[in-house]
Amino acid sequence: MGVRPSSLVVLGALTLLCEVTPARAYEAEVAATSDAQFYTLRSPWGDPIVRRRRYTQALALSVYDIQGDFVPYGPQLAFRARLRLDADFGKERYETNPRQPGTFVPDLVQSPVDVMYAYLEGRNYLGGWVGFRAGRQYVTDSLGWWSFDGGLVRLTTPAYFQLEAYAGFEQRGGLPMLLGTERYASDGVYRGNRDELELNQAPYFLSESRLAPAFGFALESVGVHFVHGRLSYRKVINRDRVVVSPFPDTGGGFQRVGGDRVSSERIGYSVRASEPTLGAARGSLVYDFYNQVVSERALALDWYTTDQITVGADYDYYYPTFDGDSIWNWFTHSGMTTLLGRGEWRPSRRFDLALSSGVKVFETEGDSGTYGTVEQQDRDPDRSETGRLSDWVVNLAGRHRWSDGSAGLRGATETGRRGHRVGGDVTLNQTFDQGLYDTLAIVSVYDWEDGLRPDRSATSFSYVAGGGIRPFDETRIGLEWEHSTNRLVGQRYRLLATLDLTVLK
Amino acid sequence: MRALWLLALTCATALALGLGLDSARAQSSPAKPAAPAAPQAVVRGLAPLPGNAPVPLADRPPGAVSGDGGPSPVIFPPQQLTIRFNHKKHVKELGLTCTTCHDAAKTSQASKDSLLPRPKRCDACHGSDHRDLSAVTTDDDALMAQCGFCHLGYKPGDGNRVARMVMPAPNLRMNHALHVRRNIACSQCHGAVENIELATRDQLPRMKGCFVCHQMPGPARGQARGECVTCHLTEKGAVMKTRFSAGTLRPPQWLHDAGHGADWVQRHKQVAGNDSQLCASCHQERFCTDCHDGRVRPRQIHPNDWISMHPVAARQNDPSCTSCHRQQSFCVGCHQRAGVSMSGPYANFGGRGRFHPPPEVWSNPPRSSQHHAWEAQRNINACASCHVERDCATCHATPARGGRGFGPKTGPAGLGDSGFGGQGVNPHPRSFRDRCAGALRRNARPCLVCHDPADSKLQECR
Repeated sequence: MGVRPSSLVVLGALTLLCEVTPARAYEAEVAATSDAQFYTLRSPWGDPIVRRRRYTQALALSVYDIQGDFVPYGPQLAFRARLRLDADFGKERYETNPRQPGTFVPDLVQSPVDVMYAYLEGRNYLGGWVGFRAGRQYVTDSLGWWSFDGGLVRLTTPAYFQLEAYAGFEQRGGLPMLLGTERYASDGVYRGNRDELELNQAPYFLSESRLAPAFGFALESVGVHFVHGRLSYRKVINRDRVVVSPFPDTGGGFQRVGGDRVSSERIGYSVRASEPTLGAARGSLVYDFYNQVVSERALALDWYTTDQITVGADYDYYYPTFDGDSIWNWFTHSGMTTLLGRGEWRPSRRFDLALSSGVKVFETEGDSGTYGTVEQQDRDPDRSETGRLSDWVVNLAGRHRWSDGSAGLRGATETGRRGHRVGGDVTLNQTFDQGLYDTLAIVSVYDWEDGLRPDRSATSFSYVAGGGIRPFDETRIGLEWEHSTNRLVGQRYRLLATLDLTVLK
Repeated sequence: MRALWLLALTCATALALGLGLDSARAQSSPAKPAAPAAPQAVVRGLAPLPGNAPVPLADRPPGAVSGDGGPSPVIFPPQQLTIRFNHKKHVKELGLTCTTCHDAAKTSQASKDSLLPRPKRCDACHGSDHRDLSAVTTDDDALMAQCGFCHLGYKPGDGNRVARMVMPAPNLRMNHALHVRRNIACSQCHGAVENIELATRDQLPRMKGCFVCHQMPGPARGQARGECVTCHLTEKGAVMKTRFSAGTLRPPQWLHDAGHGADWVQRHKQVAGNDSQLCASCHQERFCTDCHDGRVRPRQIHPNDWISMHPVAARQNDPSCTSCHRQQSFCVGCHQRAGVSMSGPYANFGGRGRFHPPPEVWSNPPRSSQHHAWEAQRNINACASCHVERDCATCHATPARGGRGFGPKTGPAGLGDSGFGGQGVNPHPRSFRDRCAGALRRNARPCLVCHDPADSKLQECR
């Protein structure tokens, strides 16, 4: 299995926390989820065949009211943690063994364990004005969904705003003892633990051996229900000594660079204003200091035309940015703009329907049909002309709910010069015997064409049949069968077995 | 086109099915009063207004809107009213106050308390006697004392049994005593009940009305706080309880523009990014991680056969991939195993043909509209899902930095084992010259991948 000793230490600590003296008023909850998935992938050329034999188990522990008896609006202290094993027994030993370079894939671990979050949280301290968190935790704001190990303090003021400040280390995947994942680090750099690799082995796979300091703050409005704004700033610093060029120098060695340097530094502002009888407006803006560009901006307007109908418009601009170590920061020339008109109809509490349609636009430097034909010689052509590429988008979603079931509909279309993707699915959920049994059925049809690879165009038909049983409260055993068929892969099957279990103490 | 027709047919069928089921459900709603069996003369108090006429908006609770169908059935589950009562007569004609009958409201501290008057309270005026149910009067002169005067469906020969009234406790925290002590009038929450006859669920408060007072979180607002948990039931960890036997609680559209409509999963980013604490009122981290950091494909995002379809979606400039996936760790590893990445083991991709269009289209000059440069400029995320930086540096690195493109061999001796130097093709955007100094100062590493420290281009940025 290859479970690291450090994970056992964490599991032990969680168990000990469960066994705190029973004299206290605390309440503990232990929840376990297990998922087993079996399916097979085949490369476009028929081989290699990748067998996925996945087993994922997450163990969550929550301890509430550590401070004593719960008092409304009084101080609250809680601990939350979740540990995850994400094993894929389809990963072959020769793929993970660096001494077999012909088949070795960097960063491939058969049974990685990570602590998704583990923090102590205090609320309503010092008269209700102060809250804090310590440990591995998430931060969600206009800068994205992010995780770090450290401390966060939140100070509420009587002046309709609260201040949040945090510092620590970004959660990264290269340090085995910290049981982290790469999920929350900035993208664009392939890196991890190089302990077992030779210097000239996959030099593009950068070393991750030092902590990445991070800090940030947020200023957020509170207490005014019709408007909410949040200003966020965050900076993460790279400290690893990493290879610069993936090619060896004249001596066969690799030049390296070290020291503190920016991984990411961004500031963002998000605001929402709403009036229940009229509508709402939402906007956000993110500025990337490293790239010195506005990397994201969005504006959404909703007009509550009637109590049943909302119409609106969404504008979104996205300019990809990466870790400061990545060369890809300098390949993007223009962001992607998405403009959508949207309507939502809610004839009753049970039924609603939403339709959005619009265009995704990309502006090119130079005309996309002729650019570079002459200028190629000097490798630094005139880029003053611009062109435009567009994709048309239509999304449809509908839902009908009844007391013990629901039916959902989804349709999606995106079409442009790069091909198209169009299709939809219908989902049915039904429970029986007061929720003791549940069933799921999904039928879908999708058609796609890849303009750059016409041979990979296909029409797919799929269905899912599943069901579950809840023998006890908060416990569910489920099984799903998925079958897809298209001309590229023939038949593809997927089996998913789940077990969710929650124990309250 | 065949798929389009199929999609349209599916949509129309689901829509018709949904609307049909919806109207069927609405007709079978249990909230309506039971059919009356009272004497012909007794026709009042069977509905909010005679003839079940609509109640004027001004008389309904604050926050009610026309056609809202009453308050949330999850908060106030459907009731079975088996009694007839005329509030207007009792208040306006007889001069009673609310607490004459609902006196329990003055002391009630929990929503589970029944605030209906005990039957004996009625006896004082009606001349009935609920102490001995076997001794009911059938005297035509004492119409008001007969069971059938108030109890709907009463049958004289049926053992004096009356239909049970069903009024489930609301799934809410409510301290009536606290509100009474603060001189908050009944009508501030329940509307002008004195103008209507039968009070139904429609006279129960609306959340929008609560916000007239409860709109400020934190200690700044005293006890009329605006936090969800002030009124809503909670689970462990002070998270709102949202699942009840009557259904699942979802925020209305007007509440912070956070209505969980059919396309909410596509739209929630802006709301969550703006006010994650609002989301945390109902959702624990687990709810977010199951999709954003999950290990089981969320079907509401990725439909069936996503594995076959995802290359097209990723290359259709869909930046939403990065909401959950980090290409260089999530995508590259799998692509290397599957042999669709040239950076992976040679055994996996060698000798199997090109993934991209032919070189004359994809990588050689002149550039057509299908040249890889356009794809990289507009959607570098798709490139990063298969390639590592070495793949780009091969051609884009300057010859002095050891690139191995097909450019002239101009680098130092020993560089470029294949005999070719890097082409040094400039990949930078138009505005790069204005930004390079700041970037170089913050992190020089990406510059040094392609440029030698002594490179004149690099010196220009210093």
